[in-house]
Amino acid sequence: MNTRIRLLAVIVVILGSQQACTEVRAWERGNLAREEMAWDPDPLESALNDHIFFSKEASSGGNNAAGGGCGCN
Amino acid sequence: MKPDYPSPPSAMSALGLFFLALGFCIPVLAVEEGDQAPAFSLPSIHDAGDEINLSDYAGQTVYVDFWASWCAPCLRSLPLYNELYLQYRDQGLQVIAINVDNPAEDGKDFLLDTPLDFLIPSDPDGVTPEQYGVIGMPTSYLIDPDGSIRMVHVGFRDGDIEHIETAIIDSLARQSP
Repeated sequence: MNTRIRLLAVIVVILGSQQACTEVRAWERGNLAREEMAWDPDPLESALNDHIFFSKEASSGGNNAAGGGCGCN
Repeated sequence: MKPDYPSPPSAMSALGLFFLALGFCIPVLAVEEGDQAPAFSLPSIHDAGDEINLSDYAGQTVYVDFWASWCAPCLRSLPLYNELYLQYRDQGLQVIAINVDNPAEDGKDFLLDTPLDFLIPSDPDGVTPEQYGVIGMPTSYLIDPDGSIRMVHVGFRDGDIEHIETAIIDSLARQSP
């Protein structure tokens, strides 16, 4: 009985968390496109950091991808 | 004693399958070239503006564009669409640029600095982009006078406007005089 209640609880939690699984459609990305939502809020500083990183580590690329959240790339 | 409910592994795999199936349930019913353009009727973004109805422009070449104030390529394209509109409106071109900003005030703020002459309906709930199956911003649809979609254009890059202008000229030639 105890196992059954536990299983039921797991199912309820998983089903409840399904509301987070909706797809953000292209026209709903207004908040995602805001400047403060970017991984690197300061593009100049992050470009400089990348430059220092690849100079020191002799490696480049793979750290980010193009696109501003508007779904156009 | 044998339990009278499914043992955890089989219940879990059934759940796994259920969620896998959910993943495939996202409806993708994008409007394609050759399809009939879905009808819409939306309020103008301007307070004093009338309701904007696609069916009012049957028999004309209509360029429908989806844009938002947070979408940089959209903002680059709109003044260029305005030039096209001013150039070809006498020949029957209609441009309807649907704003999908939520709140719509963001779109209005942009229009204060960049006045545009064509029709701008507001659809903050995203009903029309859902109908058209918009997959990226901006997306625009060139609708022929017979109501079919001549061209779907996603994104906006340098040089796109020439391509769009050519398609508009082709479509205008199909209007009955």
